[in-house]
Amino acid sequence: MMTKNPKRRKKQDDDSKLIAAINSGQKHLFLDLVTRYQQRLYNFGLRMCRDTSDAEDLVQDTFLNVFKYLKNFRYETKFKNWLYRIASSVCIKKRRKSKFAPERELSLEEFIPREDAPAQTELPDWAAIPLDKLLNDELSDTIQDAIQSLPEKYRLVIVLRDIEEFSTEETAQILKISPANVKVRLHRARLFLKEKLQEYYGNERSYA
Amino acid sequence: MNAHTHDMKICLAMFEKLSEYIDNELDELTCRDIERHARECIRCHTCLETLKRTIDLCRKSGDRSVPETFSLRLKEVIQSLS
Repeated sequence: MMTKNPKRRKKQDDDSKLIAAINSGQKHLFLDLVTRYQQRLYNFGLRMCRDTSDAEDLVQDTFLNVFKYLKNFRYETKFKNWLYRIASSVCIKKRRKSKFAPERELSLEEFIPREDAPAQTELPDWAAIPLDKLLNDELSDTIQDAIQSLPEKYRLVIVLRDIEEFSTEETAQILKISPANVKVRLHRARLFLKEKLQEYYGNERSYA
Repeated sequence: MNAHTHDMKICLAMFEKLSEYIDNELDELTCRDIERHARECIRCHTCLETLKRTIDLCRKSGDRSVPETFSLRLKEVIQSLS
C-alpha cells in the first residue's frame, strides 16, 4: 500500500533517477516519462474504454495528474504501480454507462457447469493446439471485445493482473481493495472470458 | 481418466480454486490434490486447460501503436506545462 509510513523502504527502479531529475527542476525530462509509458497506458485505455478517443483522454488525464502530483511521489511503491493507480482512478471517475458493459456482479454460480452437461472426452482444439497457431487478428478482436464486455470492476482486475502483469498484492494496492477480493474478481473474469472463447469456437456450454 | 465416476463436490471445490492454482497461490498439499483430481477427471482437466489457455490468449492479445497525431498533441500539452 502506498502508505505514509516513513519507515517503509523506498522502491528504487529505472524510473527513480528520472523522477528525481524532474523533481529537482528538469521539467523537460517529463516527456521522457511520457515516452516510456504512453504505449502501455494507451493500450490499458483501449481495453478499459473501448474507443480510441476515450483511451486518449485517459492517457492525457493520467499524465496531467502525474505531472501535478509527481512531487508527492515518495518511492514507497514502484512508479509504474503509482502510475496505474492514477490511471485506474481516472478510469473509474470517467465511468460511463456502457451498453457493452453494464455494471453488474458476476457470481461464481453462473459459471458452474451443469451436472447433466455432456462430458468431453478430449480437450477442445483451441486448448490443445500450440498457442502460436491459434493467434490471429480476428481472435485478438474477439478477446478485446470479450474484455470490454466485462463489468468494469472485473475488467480492471483482469487487465491489471493478466495483461499488465501486476501481482495480486500490487493489483490490490492499485485498486485499494483486498488481495482476496482481487482473487475473487479475477477468477470470475477469467471464467467469463473462457465462456466467450468457448462460444467463439462453437463449443456448447459443457464442463470444458 | 474416468468421466463416469464424477464426484461433483470435489469438482466444484476444485473449480473455485482453479485461478489460484494456475497463479501458484495455493499451498503444496492443495496443489497436489488438484493435480491428482485433474488426472482422474477429464471434465476438470478440460476445465483447467481451457482456463489456462484463456489466460494465455488474453496475455498474448496484441497491443496497438499510439496514433502519431495523439502522441504529438500530448507532447504539446506536456510542453505547455513545463
